[in-house]
Amino acid sequence: MGASVALDAVFRDQWGRVLATLVGILGDIELAEDAAAEAFAVAAERWPGDGEPANPTGWLVTTARNRAIDDLRRRQVLAGKTKLLIRDTETGPQPPEALMDDAATIPDERLELVFTCCHPALALDAQVALTLRTLGGLSTDEIALAFLVPFETMSKRLTRAKHKIRDAGIPFAVPPDHQLPDRLAAVLAVVYLIFNQGWGGGRVDLTAEAIHLARALADLMPDEPEVLALLALMLLHDARKGARLRDGRIVPLDDQDRSLWDIRQIDEGRSLLRRAMARGRSGPYLVQGAIADLHLQEPRDWRQIAALYQTLARQTRSPIAEMNRAIAVAEIDGPEAGLAVLDRLDLGHYRYFHSTRAELLRRAGRDAEAHDAYGRALDLAQTEPEQRFLAERLAETAPSVRSEPGRAGG
Amino acid sequence: MQYALLAYNPAEDTDRAARPIPGALATMLDRPEVTGWARLHADGSATTLRNDEGRVLLTDGPFIDSKEYLAGLILIEADDLDGALATARELLGTTRPGTAIEVRPILDGRLRGA
Repeated sequence: MGASVALDAVFRDQWGRVLATLVGILGDIELAEDAAAEAFAVAAERWPGDGEPANPTGWLVTTARNRAIDDLRRRQVLAGKTKLLIRDTETGPQPPEALMDDAATIPDERLELVFTCCHPALALDAQVALTLRTLGGLSTDEIALAFLVPFETMSKRLTRAKHKIRDAGIPFAVPPDHQLPDRLAAVLAVVYLIFNQGWGGGRVDLTAEAIHLARALADLMPDEPEVLALLALMLLHDARKGARLRDGRIVPLDDQDRSLWDIRQIDEGRSLLRRAMARGRSGPYLVQGAIADLHLQEPRDWRQIAALYQTLARQTRSPIAEMNRAIAVAEIDGPEAGLAVLDRLDLGHYRYFHSTRAELLRRAGRDAEAHDAYGRALDLAQTEPEQRFLAERLAETAPSVRSEPGRAGG
Repeated sequence: MQYALLAYNPAEDTDRAARPIPGALATMLDRPEVTGWARLHADGSATTLRNDEGRVLLTDGPFIDSKEYLAGLILIEADDLDGALATARELLGTTRPGTAIEVRPILDGRLRGA
């Protein structure tokens, strides 16, 4: 059991790396995925007895590549002469012969793969699913569960995306410099979306997955401040994970037990932020990282937080940044001032808009309206911890319950 | 790879037969990566054939009822989708507001080179 858990960890580490190399060799994600799955199955069979090879990446790539070529030749015999297959097996790019012996000869092509998966010609939900599948090594089942869609839907989404990449000729390449800022922003948006999907406390640990992806990106692009800043931002948020849930309910930041915060992770996040700031370029993740850092300080500097949200709203034109500024404004000038900011926003589809509005209404003593807003937030809530929290607030603000105006002491 | 760029125009753009091809567009159509092109009449001239479970139904008008109609077909060479998108983007810049281009990879074809 222990050995198989250790093997699982090796497989999780290796999957993205091996798959990326195979996509580079075979030129097709679906083919590479099948070959990688076969190689991992062979490894699961042999490694417990034979021991892990000195160069597991090389072993897995070589095994997968040989299987894929055998498979292609077999299909070629069955299907008759097919030019594409001849090219793939005979004149396609070949890996160095010494793959098994020397880790340094295996190019790390995960960056190419992530830019392929997050290509703007793919729908965002396909980009997210594909990134989790290829780089993260999550199963289709896990991804479906994480995004609350039926397995069939997710399976079709992945297949369609892989076919589109193949048929439309989406490149397997790191974009040229003039496209890099936009394309990198798309990649980071996918990673942050994965993190946010996990933040509600769903059944698949997507926050860890997003941090894992961002760590890989930070290793591969150590000079990109926005990559470092995104990793910092997520680490700073995630450091509060241990304090965020109590008895299966979300605990608001002010009520959290700070001794449960992960200090080591906060230090790492802050040091990454300093590295990103030293590059002298500001971007939305750097601003958000700085805000996350401010939120961890006691007492919180709400004026600085509000100012940074204003900067962020200007950079991203995001109504969500404005919504968060409203929270800071409410702390400075009272809930009605925050509500005035919220009332200008068109965010009715966003679950946290209703919970934010409800909270400010409750603090303003407008319980009936708060009750309605909590109801709407509950309708949109996606995870049980959020639902429990909102259901309680809904009950507290129900017309029959008398509650004190102003802030409930948490 | 080869790509087809399908140009769509808004429905109200019906006088195009009376207008010449804009100069900038004509210049681009002469470029080497454009391996063929066709400019089509507005959708009032279209006839659609539909296969209705083996029977052929003939109707007047375009195949899909939408605000745009298929206005042309431009065939290009590109290394990959990014190359095709770059050309499509540039082409779109020479067109009137409301135009759209669909980029579709070509599975097979016999196209005359430029």
